[in-house]
Amino acid sequence: MATFPNYVRRRKIKGLILDILIAVVVIGCIFPFVWMIMTSIKTRVQTIDPSVWFFHPTLENYRAIFQKRDMFMYINNSLMVVALTTLASVVLGTFAAYGLARFQFNRKEDVAYWILSLRMLPPIAVVIPFFLLGRFIGLLDTHILLVIVYMSFNIPFTIWMMRGFIEDIPRELEEAAWVDGCSRFQAIRRIIFPLIAPGVAATAIFCVIQSWNEFSLAFFLTSFNARTVPTTVTFFLSVLGVIWGEMASVGVVATIPVLIFALIVQKYLVRGLTFGAIKS
Amino acid sequence: MKKRKEHYWYIAPSLITLVVIVIFPTLFLWYVSFTNYDLTMGWEQRKLVGIRNFQYLAFEDKDFWHSVKISLWFMVFTVALEFILGLAIALLFNRRIRGKRLWMSFLIVPMVITPTIISLIWKLMLNTEYGVLNYLLSLLSLPKINWLGYENALWSVMMVDIWEWTPFVTLILYAGLQSLPQEPYEAVIVDGASPTQVFYYLTLPLLKPMIMIALLLRSIDSLKIFDVVYGLTQGGPGNATELMSMHIYRIGFRHTNWIGRASANAIVLLVIITILTTVLLRIMRRGTKEGY
Repeated sequence: MATFPNYVRRRKIKGLILDILIAVVVIGCIFPFVWMIMTSIKTRVQTIDPSVWFFHPTLENYRAIFQKRDMFMYINNSLMVVALTTLASVVLGTFAAYGLARFQFNRKEDVAYWILSLRMLPPIAVVIPFFLLGRFIGLLDTHILLVIVYMSFNIPFTIWMMRGFIEDIPRELEEAAWVDGCSRFQAIRRIIFPLIAPGVAATAIFCVIQSWNEFSLAFFLTSFNARTVPTTVTFFLSVLGVIWGEMASVGVVATIPVLIFALIVQKYLVRGLTFGAIKS
Repeated sequence: MKKRKEHYWYIAPSLITLVVIVIFPTLFLWYVSFTNYDLTMGWEQRKLVGIRNFQYLAFEDKDFWHSVKISLWFMVFTVALEFILGLAIALLFNRRIRGKRLWMSFLIVPMVITPTIISLIWKLMLNTEYGVLNYLLSLLSLPKINWLGYENALWSVMMVDIWEWTPFVTLILYAGLQSLPQEPYEAVIVDGASPTQVFYYLTLPLLKPMIMIALLLRSIDSLKIFDVVYGLTQGGPGNATELMSMHIYRIGFRHTNWIGRASANAIVLLVIITILTTVLLRIMRRGTKEGY
């Protein structure tokens, strides 16, 4: 080492410290998730003993949540609500995005930003009128009510994401198709859609993640029939301390699909998180 | 001319849907906030009471002011820390690292896990008797902390929020750092600026639009927070973590059924969020004009 000049060694030490800091950040981010997975395969006694790190895993908790707690019903409800709201929002939103991307009209940006502002509404303010109206027309605790309410954040999101994706495609491609005799709609179907398909997929996945994770609205608007996976949190609030293992296995079942989806759209993550405002 | 209205057919379906499912219910919320409606009475029995609900919140409901105060404090503290940590981590990643893509994909974990699940897993980890955090403290011979007790509960909720959302700030600022233009850097380095000067006088100003977007999105979301608080503390112990959404929930649904008052409180939250949103959108609009 003595032959090395001092600054080389100093730079190496600095690099090492920075690497350690990154390791700390990464461990900090995933530790709670890892702890949840570990808790889900522990026995009841082991879950309340944090000094147990190596143990013989059990699937007892998973069996319990599917047999005793009817997880299938919650997953089924979630899947139905998520699929329908995503489908409806992506179809409606993509057309609106095309309208905003390809036409010029008065106060276009005002309309666009007004739509975006709806995405910021606090759920607790949205839920009171929906709770009352749902009660009046007897829609409380139905899938369709959640599907509709979730469109209030999925449509604005889709419009903003898809507008960016459509604007990324040169107008000339479309215009060439018109010259060749395609109608506007045919050009969308044959030229634009194949090009924005990855964007549509990414946007749909974001809608799936947001709707799957949504709790506040589902909590107020459902009571038994249409309860979604995130509302299962209420089981574990009163009787906690006994069934941490089951809680953790619900957590694993609920989060693994979202994590896989999130990894698929990782490339578009910043774009999605900022409603298309920042394209990286 | 037919062409001039063509855009309407593309936009109208979404616009009409949004008006029906957002504007109409919001107007209804305003209406309810001026009534004395209560879930235990029939809808026909409601009476218009003017601004009585707002007066009640302002002059009689001490818990309302408490919730406003801790909500604002929660917002300021979490967003400030998420910004500082998020920027530091973004800078940490902004150099050559082997396997960077993999390491960065771990950062996504906290913000995509279902928030109610986050709250429960943290509730287990923060348990005084058998939580892993106190266990790790005991390994370092440090005293146990009563994380969710009256004194510490709000700090713990803030800690969970910071854990959940710092990566969000990191990802946005990292994207910003990666897209910075090279030329100004070459110029100032030739001029002999120190790394600290480069950071304060060049990097931060160039990042400003991204920083503002990240901070405002976080501020709006942290004022809206409900799910994580509900799972972690339900607003307790006492009213230690009764943030605005939790207070609305308590007076409207949980303890009393005063929907009128809860609506008035929701209107207050709505107005605060609208102000922040207006600022955010103005910055985003300016940003798009400059080409970000």
